[in-house]
Amino acid sequence: MMKTASRASSITRRKLLKTSAAGAALAAFPAPLIAQTKPFAGVTLHGASFQHRFFTLLQKYIPEFEEKTGMKVDLQLSALPVYNQQANLELSSGGSAYDFVNVTFTLATRWIAAGLLANLDEFTGDANLTPVEWNPKDFVDGAQVPYRDGKGATYGYSWEGGAMLMGLSRMDLMEKKGLKIPKTFAELAQVCAEINGTDGVNGMVSWFLHNWNLPPYIQGFGGNVFKNPPGDVMPALNTPEAIQGVEFYANLLKSAPKGVLTYTEDQARQSMLTGRSNIFIHSSAWVTPILLSDESKVKDTSRVVRSPAGPVHDYPASNSQGLGIPRNAKNQKAAWEFIKWALSPEISMKLVREHGHSSVCRRSIITSEDYRKLNTVNGQDLGALYLEVLELPGKGENYMAYRTSKEFPIVGDVLNKAFEQVATGQLPAKDAMNAAQDQAIAALRRAGTKL
Amino acid sequence: MSESGIDGERRRFIAFALTPSLIVLFAVAVLPAIYLIVTSLTPFQLTTPGSATDFSEPLRNYGLLPGDPRFVNSLAVQAKLSVASVLFQVLLGMGLALLLNVPSRFVEFARTFFLIPMVLPPIVVAVIWKLIYAPDISPLYYAAQALHVTLPALTSSVDFALTSIVIADTWEWLPFTFLMVLAALQTIPDEYSEAALVDGASKLQIFWYVTLPFITPILVISGMFRLIDSVKAFPLIFLLTGGGPGTLTEVTNYYAYLLAFDTNEIGYSSAVTVVMLLLVCGISLGLVWMGQRKKALA
Repeated sequence: MMKTASRASSITRRKLLKTSAAGAALAAFPAPLIAQTKPFAGVTLHGASFQHRFFTLLQKYIPEFEEKTGMKVDLQLSALPVYNQQANLELSSGGSAYDFVNVTFTLATRWIAAGLLANLDEFTGDANLTPVEWNPKDFVDGAQVPYRDGKGATYGYSWEGGAMLMGLSRMDLMEKKGLKIPKTFAELAQVCAEINGTDGVNGMVSWFLHNWNLPPYIQGFGGNVFKNPPGDVMPALNTPEAIQGVEFYANLLKSAPKGVLTYTEDQARQSMLTGRSNIFIHSSAWVTPILLSDESKVKDTSRVVRSPAGPVHDYPASNSQGLGIPRNAKNQKAAWEFIKWALSPEISMKLVREHGHSSVCRRSIITSEDYRKLNTVNGQDLGALYLEVLELPGKGENYMAYRTSKEFPIVGDVLNKAFEQVATGQLPAKDAMNAAQDQAIAALRRAGTKL
Repeated sequence: MSESGIDGERRRFIAFALTPSLIVLFAVAVLPAIYLIVTSLTPFQLTTPGSATDFSEPLRNYGLLPGDPRFVNSLAVQAKLSVASVLFQVLLGMGLALLLNVPSRFVEFARTFFLIPMVLPPIVVAVIWKLIYAPDISPLYYAAQALHVTLPALTSSVDFALTSIVIADTWEWLPFTFLMVLAALQTIPDEYSEAALVDGASKLQIFWYVTLPFITPILVISGMFRLIDSVKAFPLIFLLTGGGPGTLTEVTNYYAYLLAFDTNEIGYSSAVTVVMLLLVCGISLGLVWMGQRKKALA
């Protein structure tokens, strides 16, 4: 009995000694030991994007992510043009300053073609790095098209979707005049002309990026910016359809406020929210505030619908912004961990539920009951509209291919200038677009594009 | 120590004293300029690997410039903008200096007040004018509406876009010529005008025969400075018109900016910039030569 007691006492003492030693070691070196439980302890992840509400909201949750993974996230946000310049220079010069970046929609093809981004299929294809529940196929296909190469490999996952919709702020005026919501280009022109000037309201409003606003009209008449993008990038600016589209949009802007050619998106949105302009056709995030924003003075008289269809095509523009990993990033696995977390169904749903952020790109979220409830206003299911437009380029012809062609910035700039010449009456549409065609070809050849 | 020894010592000291400044100047001005010239000899595109070191056709960019209508147009726009804004700045600055060249507390306050636009950061000036020119929020348009006057949208109007830049640029830099001329006016001895007055000269004659000859060199110098500086009207154009409508306000440096940062044609943009640099150097040297010639003739 005594022996047993002595042995028991001895074991206890040994255990006690061991435990004390372990405790002392833990007290002396706490961090490394704790770090072993966190896979990315000590890693500082450098990321960059342009300023956007998505990141402002995400930053609220980043401490939770840092706590979970042990890594520190250094997220640099700057204005869109500044960010594009910085990221373009950094990636093109083979720099490794960023571990993850926003893959700006218009730069996506150029970056992918130049091999500046890491292939994310290597991460999603590895079960150790990506659980099945993350499901890359949950992202709306139309939003993912810009982030794939010719072979279908993925270089970015979209965090923001933009679907061109039409907002009407003064349905009361339209009803008084017996006008219906326009569904075709011809009806749109008629409504704009008839409302313009009524009670000091402008028929429509737009903003200065004509190479975003104009192509849906060119395509609606059956034209395009290039002959057959992305395979054939010969500019097609002086086709009869393109000229017709330019003339049509220039005529529409006669119903817009003075100075609309230099309007920013904010100015245009403000014009809608205050009911000074009746129609605004732009991305959902800019149009839906007439129904959703507290600033809106026209909530009761507003509608958000599909933008009107052209006589040949119904091609509302759409875009997306994606997160990707630079090829030379130092912390690729950590960067993937961040992207996976930021675009997870859980965070996406949190953003929708807690902040009403609706421009997410996960189909499971957009089609969820919670999303539908939050985005149905005055009986209008904005989520369904958003999804419908966002999906279109992924179905059948990818009509947005013109915009992600790496030649687009050059041709888009020429198109902007030509349109302004037409809208201000400097040149007839035919002359302006013929000159634009020549200039676009010359500029592309100068830049080394083989046409 | 011999005479030549002292001279040698002086020369060595001067060289020693100048060396740090020259090294800094070389690093911040000459090296980037060399890089610019070297880049202009390549087809450098950000997303085309190897293009930064491709010297196979070194003069290709320069050969393309005369056939580029936007480049040629940008030079013409720059010339119009520079001539108009410098002319207004010199004439209005001189007029204002003549008005305010009197001893008075109010005038002293006014002088300080007039300096404000010049010390504001250029982008702030651009934002101020953006607000003034925005039809839906501008007090200018409210005032016009109250007076039943219809103003066009100045920055997107074919007839007024360039004028709107000239007005904003003149507002910003008028104080410079004003200050220069005011300083010159204060160095003119009163005896000359008093003598002319005794001889029965009118105020206009005093200005023409006494004041103007005194301040002419200052007018030329301030005009020269402003002419060289006028190629830097970038923030105003960037924020107010974006070079439009069309290419009506697209000056050469704005075109170079678009080429470099919108379409990534760094090599071609560098060639545009080099030509602009040469033109500015040419104008500066021409004006210096004119000044020296005038001095020699005198």
